[in-house]
Amino acid sequence: MSTNNKKLLNAYHVVFLTQSIMIGTGILSLPQKLSSLGYNQTFMPLLFGVIASVTLWPMIWIGSKYPDANLYRINEILLGKWLGKTINFFFILQFLVFSAGIISNYMHLIQSTALPEQTITLPVICFLLLLIYIVSGGIKSIARFCMMTFFITIGMMFFTSWAFQKGEMSHFLPLFNFTGGEFYEAMKKGYLSILGYELIMFYYPYIVQQKKAYKHTLIGIWISIFVCFITTAISVMYYSEWQLKNIEFSVLNLFKAGEFSFVERIDIIGITLWVFLILSSVAAYLWCAKKGVDSLVVKNSNAYLYILAIIIFFVVKMPLSRNFQDKLFTASNYVGYMFIIWPLLLVILYVLRKKKQVQS
Amino acid sequence: MSETTQQVIELLKKEIHGIDDVVIKKVYTEEGNVTVIYISSLVEKMTVQSMIFIPLANHIRQILRVAESVDIKNIEIVLQKLNAGHTLLFFHQLNQLRTIDTYSAPTRSITNTETESTVIGPQDAFTESLETNISLVKRRIQNPLLKTEIRTVGTETNIKISIMYMDNIVNKENLENLRERIDNIDYPYFTDISELKQLIEDNPLSPFPQYYMSVRPDSVSQYLIDGRIVLFMDNSQAAVVCPTSFFEMFISIEDYYNRWSTASLLRMLRFFGFFLTIMITPMYISALTFHPEILPYELLLNLQESRSKVPFPPIIEVLFIELIIEVLREAGSRMPAKVGQTIGIVGGIVIGTAAVEAGLLSNILIVLVATSALLSFLPPIFLMSNTSRFVRYIFILSAGFFGLFGQMLAFAWLINHLQNLKSLGTPYMTPFIPRKATDLLDGVIRFPTKYLMAKKGISRAQKK
Repeated sequence: MSTNNKKLLNAYHVVFLTQSIMIGTGILSLPQKLSSLGYNQTFMPLLFGVIASVTLWPMIWIGSKYPDANLYRINEILLGKWLGKTINFFFILQFLVFSAGIISNYMHLIQSTALPEQTITLPVICFLLLLIYIVSGGIKSIARFCMMTFFITIGMMFFTSWAFQKGEMSHFLPLFNFTGGEFYEAMKKGYLSILGYELIMFYYPYIVQQKKAYKHTLIGIWISIFVCFITTAISVMYYSEWQLKNIEFSVLNLFKAGEFSFVERIDIIGITLWVFLILSSVAAYLWCAKKGVDSLVVKNSNAYLYILAIIIFFVVKMPLSRNFQDKLFTASNYVGYMFIIWPLLLVILYVLRKKKQVQS
Repeated sequence: MSETTQQVIELLKKEIHGIDDVVIKKVYTEEGNVTVIYISSLVEKMTVQSMIFIPLANHIRQILRVAESVDIKNIEIVLQKLNAGHTLLFFHQLNQLRTIDTYSAPTRSITNTETESTVIGPQDAFTESLETNISLVKRRIQNPLLKTEIRTVGTETNIKISIMYMDNIVNKENLENLRERIDNIDYPYFTDISELKQLIEDNPLSPFPQYYMSVRPDSVSQYLIDGRIVLFMDNSQAAVVCPTSFFEMFISIEDYYNRWSTASLLRMLRFFGFFLTIMITPMYISALTFHPEILPYELLLNLQESRSKVPFPPIIEVLFIELIIEVLREAGSRMPAKVGQTIGIVGGIVIGTAAVEAGLLSNILIVLVATSALLSFLPPIFLMSNTSRFVRYIFILSAGFFGLFGQMLAFAWLINHLQNLKSLGTPYMTPFIPRKATDLLDGVIRFPTKYLMAKKGISRAQKK
């Protein structure tokens, strides 16, 4: 499990890895986060897709300059050993808090819908054990899990069909009826939901066809964007503007519109099946954190994986107010944007360095 | 009389001391004295008469021409030959040792298969004799490229095994891999090939069988043609096919004999039946313990009414009846056939009626458990049906702890476990991993026969 040059991921793996990491808890509340735009939010995911495609480019570019190094290594090369290591340490912290945020969100959701009479301690422990099991298989195992996740969970799209039937097409119009401030607000909150593709910088060295990685990642991104688009479109059709603003997990309520003669409350099945999506995202983040630890310490060992999982557990279950936790997780979400900008910085550094070398 | 032969015979007599079924006879022939040694339990009287004694008396030259000559000083080889059912002929005057293979231990004849019976198709099954089994396959594939490697395994038993493969189709890497694994086995004895199978599996801790086992020569031949490697062992009825994918555990050879529509229907039943059998009773627990709101009002009413007299929580109720079913099944398979019927009736009445009337179990649960017990017998491979029994308990327990969420966690575990399993180094989850589009034609839906020519992804067959 060291950062050696083993090429493991082929095209399918890259596509589904990108796709599944992007879809996590974010999409559940995407319509609410975009709600400052009201009914005009329908096409926001497509805009996000464009932004993601553009910001993906520097990531791949910097990766292609160092085909055998992940971001931690690149940091050390470009920023020097100590500065690089310090930054890597913050990356690891960020990943841990970010994963803890996802897990905590999801677990509280589970607690409020499926397990109202239990504390989340035991479910979180089981979840983390399973997570360790998945991550210890390495990135390829995670990629496979992502692929299975896609095929297992894509069926949930069917659950939204009732909402589609009951929805009102006329909500889509008029198209551009919002102010700049509203747009900024939606942008700031909503773009979080599609974060996840930036992890390409960490698994790039494992990709077999690195030249085509941009294309494959794009396919993955646009599958996710398409799913987000359908979500927002159906939400817009089904809800009123007030509902969009005030229903937190609007996707679950879309499921509630479903009617089978033998099952009511499809949302419970939906939210429990969602564990696949959460597992696939968090597994990738935890894997990245593990890689970070590997880059910091001399001796690699699987024990660090357990230590990281224990840290996540304490972040999720820390004896502080829910309010503080929320603030921490929101902060880590915004820090997540840093990963979009970070490669740009690295690109600039790289170019400056090259110039210096040429001059001297 | 020569010294050496006499010495060797004396030495041999010391070695075979205590083996009282060894027959030592002296015969006087035209070529001088001949000592004949064989083990009477491995050699039939008729064989030894017609192959040894009659020729010795009448045309001894013929024997000298035909019989295999063995180095007289190599006592180990001599003993091995003797134990393998050969007859030793010591020609004292010529100072030679000749052996003739007279192995003719009694074998049973070819009969119908009882464990993998089908309605359509050939009915013959393998027997416990290696030669018969190989011949049953060779009858079906009359091709010189069908290779049969014979080896011995088991440091104490020296049992013969055979590795069979199509030389032009099989993946050489797989073959090397398998040979290496077999060579590395250090296990004293084998009584059935399933022991060997467990020793050469990729993940011995997994509850899932990683190789296909069959007693049907037709399905084994079909796998051979697909580029798989087949293992036979003397004295065991089944053949092991490796590598095999998870999905193939649900394929019966009869699917290819049926029309494609019927076959597809049955396959769907078996494949989704596996997931149903591990999900039905856990679903009952989750729905009644944690999420009664997912059931429609009428159904919930019905369920609650049927278990209104039951004093336990659903998890205890389910574990109770699942264990009873397990006991019934186990008892049924161990009972002598004459007593078995009684047990069936007792079990049926006690569980079906009395338990419900006593208020121990709910009616609906019995329907569910019976359905899932029946569903678990759908896979044509009995090992897989055993696995589904085991995996179901994991799901039951996790549903008991966390309801649907626990079930989904267990399901995620199952998926992750399956996708990381390998069969002879090849991933187990075709057509997902390794991906081959043509596998879909022979997947849950079996396409009409003319589309099924492509080799499967898992066999990684040689490209033409």
